[in-house]
Amino acid sequence: MSKISAPRSNREFIEACVKAGDAVRIKQEVDWENEAGAIVRRACELGAAAPFMEKIKDYPGFSYFGAPLSTYRRMAISLGMDPASSLPEIGKEYLKRTNSEPIAPVVIDRKDAPCKENILLGADVDLCKLPVPLVHDGDGGRYVGTWHAVVTKHPVRGDVNWGMYRQMMFDSRTMSGAVFPFSDLGKQLSEYYLPRGISCPFATAIGLSPLAAMAACAPSPIPEPELVGMLSGEPARLVKCETNDLEVPADAEIIIEGEICPDYKVEEGPFGEYTGYRTSPRDFRVTFRVNCITYRNNATMTISNMGVPQDEGQLLRSFSLGLELEKLLRSQGIPVTGVYMHPRSTHHMMIVGVKPAYTGIAQQIAQLAFGSKLGPWFHMVMVVDDQTDIYNWDEVYHAFCTRCHPENGIHIYRNTTGTPLYPFATPHERKYSIGSKVLFDCLWPVDWDKTNDVPTLVSFKNVYPKDIQERVLSNWTAYGYPAVK
Amino acid sequence: MNQWEVFVMDMGELAEGKDIEISIRTLNPGMHKYTYKHVRAQVSSTLDKFPDQLQVRMGRGQLSPAKFSIKVIEEIRRLPPQYS
Ligand SMILES: Cc1cc2nc3c(=O)[nH]c(=O)nc-3n(C[C@H](O)[C@H](O)[C@H](O)COP(=O)(O)O)c2cc1C
Repeated sequence: MSKISAPRSNREFIEACVKAGDAVRIKQEVDWENEAGAIVRRACELGAAAPFMEKIKDYPGFSYFGAPLSTYRRMAISLGMDPASSLPEIGKEYLKRTNSEPIAPVVIDRKDAPCKENILLGADVDLCKLPVPLVHDGDGGRYVGTWHAVVTKHPVRGDVNWGMYRQMMFDSRTMSGAVFPFSDLGKQLSEYYLPRGISCPFATAIGLSPLAAMAACAPSPIPEPELVGMLSGEPARLVKCETNDLEVPADAEIIIEGEICPDYKVEEGPFGEYTGYRTSPRDFRVTFRVNCITYRNNATMTISNMGVPQDEGQLLRSFSLGLELEKLLRSQGIPVTGVYMHPRSTHHMMIVGVKPAYTGIAQQIAQLAFGSKLGPWFHMVMVVDDQTDIYNWDEVYHAFCTRCHPENGIHIYRNTTGTPLYPFATPHERKYSIGSKVLFDCLWPVDWDKTNDVPTLVSFKNVYPKDIQERVLSNWTAYGYPAVK
Repeated sequence: MNQWEVFVMDMGELAEGKDIEISIRTLNPGMHKYTYKHVRAQVSSTLDKFPDQLQVRMGRGQLSPAKFSIKVIEEIRRLPPQYS
């Protein structure tokens, strides 16, 4: 395998983005209250360069980096690829790396770990010493964790989990977060810690290398520290926490250590979400008590600002949910041509291309997709044939509007797992994570006669003989048309 | 005078003329702005009745035009002692 040269830290990533014209250095002072959030939001809505805000009001020495992975260009840079790589190329590379041999992390000495340059313990611990931003006006609080990893470990099995679960600052030593019951941490808590009334050690790592952040929000069964190794082609560098046994990325900008309380809950939310709304109700949620904060000199806090497309909540999650589903379907021997989620669907619709090899293949795909660990995050599966370009929405939409039979092609699955974030869900459904799902089967039925029953697609590519196509293409400008790129 | 903010789903949560328990966040300028306290308090729609001001947001963050004055009677520490 050729050597991967992906940025190994958030700092290297910022540098690479600035060099490629995909990040801008903002020298003038920016307010942590709304202004920084508004800059990130506008950058997301314009698909603009990521803002690196070097001077923050009230917080000398700290900086912000916003919208880290809200474009495919920055995603390519994070993987050490040419920023101009196409989405299918980036996807292929992700699949190649995540299907390779796992690479175990290494634990380094704390004196070599940048994240230990400053340590706050005991009475010095105060989250307000960090430039925690008010991301959107009207949010329930200042959000510490919007682009980060919450690190935990199963006390018996030893499984390590890094997950990106938003965390709000409630007071100087308390955070509350949206940890959904179907997430890995949610399951760890309900299976082990909550029934025993034992507090769960955690560490929040902020300002991660982009691939560590990508791993934290990838719905992959591979433990995240190994997944980072596979994505970056070298072992992740970890270091032991100060106040518990967890290991955290040594190059992270900020580490917050503490315990998740089984017997104490404070309110969380509302917050701007990836669906483009503030939907999930303010509620008493998982509560994190902070015992220690460590951070690098001149630490950079990362900010993802979720709202209408497109931010990393949509772009990155669509990317990894789609590709993880592709792996799952291939592992079951289903002849898929690819899986794609358009970020603008706010990762609600899976588009699956498949060779219609047998009857019911679309239902099999939908049942696997909805029944998998990925299932709670989307409620629509659209299955098109192998002749339809899944990345071309015009083709997919045409297939949907012309081939999906309103009675036979639409299948509804009721009382499934949902998320409290679905804007269309009723308040009751949101409270209890109740979902419902729909399959749009856009395949011609296998039992239709291919010659007489299946309509012929009338397109330039499909109905004209090859020699005519070639003649028309080569004469196109001679006919008087401008050249087509 | 301190400035506070509260989130409610229903204005009925801000009953006047009796003690109520609410989580309020400080709007006083400074690095602790937006941190919460859980308190026992009295509120009034008469703005000069109590020493502090209270602004209200609804469940999805919408700012309410209603304004209150508030008297914080005591902070309620719900945190179990093992986490102090
Ligand atoms: C910016 C961003 C914010 C996220 N916030 C949350 C969150 O608050 N709660 C949650 O359960 N998942 C959230 N997710 C999705 C999780 O990161 C994702 O489901 C991840 O796979 C979590 O790991 P798990 O499924 O293994 O628990 C977020 C993702 C992104 C990109």
